[in-house]
Amino acid sequence: MANPTPLLEVRLLAEPFAPLIALEAWQAQLATRLPGGPAAAESHFIGRVRGHSSDGRAAVEALELEHYPGMTEARILALAAAGSERHGAAAVLVLHRIGRLAPGEAIVLVAVAADRRGQALRCGQELLEALKHEAPFWKREWRGGVGTWVQGNTPF
Amino acid sequence: MVRVLLFAGLREQAGWSSREVALTGTTLTPLTVWGRLRLGAGGPASPSEATTAAAPQPPGILVAINHQFASWEAPLRGGDELAFLPPITGG
Repeated sequence: MANPTPLLEVRLLAEPFAPLIALEAWQAQLATRLPGGPAAAESHFIGRVRGHSSDGRAAVEALELEHYPGMTEARILALAAAGSERHGAAAVLVLHRIGRLAPGEAIVLVAVAADRRGQALRCGQELLEALKHEAPFWKREWRGGVGTWVQGNTPF
Repeated sequence: MVRVLLFAGLREQAGWSSREVALTGTTLTPLTVWGRLRLGAGGPASPSEATTAAAPQPPGILVAINHQFASWEAPLRGGDELAFLPPITGG
């Protein structure tokens, strides 16, 4: 069966968001908009701001996220399109924060709907790794009023 | 003209975020723009060095032209937007 065009939604958010409420809204959309009927599998990932620095040695006051307006959105959308095509996913949602975040706040939500659990889980994992390395975002940790640019991603 | 953008740590090292670079007779590439603007050297280009500067490709920095990842050797055209991207730390 040919896979219908997947529903892709990518948004960058300058204000805090509630991932579970965002997920419910997305699921409500899927219930009416998926051409192939309801998807049997969904994967969800929520990333939050760590309370300590990336080297693990100090408490972080805030995390700041810079992006490249225009390119960041386009890259995530391209990655979501490629990933959903590769895994045959029916829908992908990516919400990503920008600006200044407090420890514990949600920074990223990746959700995938597909017919099979493997498709949903693999597509979600791959997309998350891809956007961490290929969508232009830069993190700066704030400690004691001093900001330090994070030099690399944490290990998987 | 080519519009050059810097982000995050690169922007702060250089002290600017956006600059216009004029196209000259020779083909400009991201590498020649990097050298011209003395981005690896921590200082502004001087007129005598501006046309001859050849910088080594800086490790870890990615290049985008018009929002697409590109090679350091890609030829630039008038109206292009060139961005130098320090190591990406998203998600």
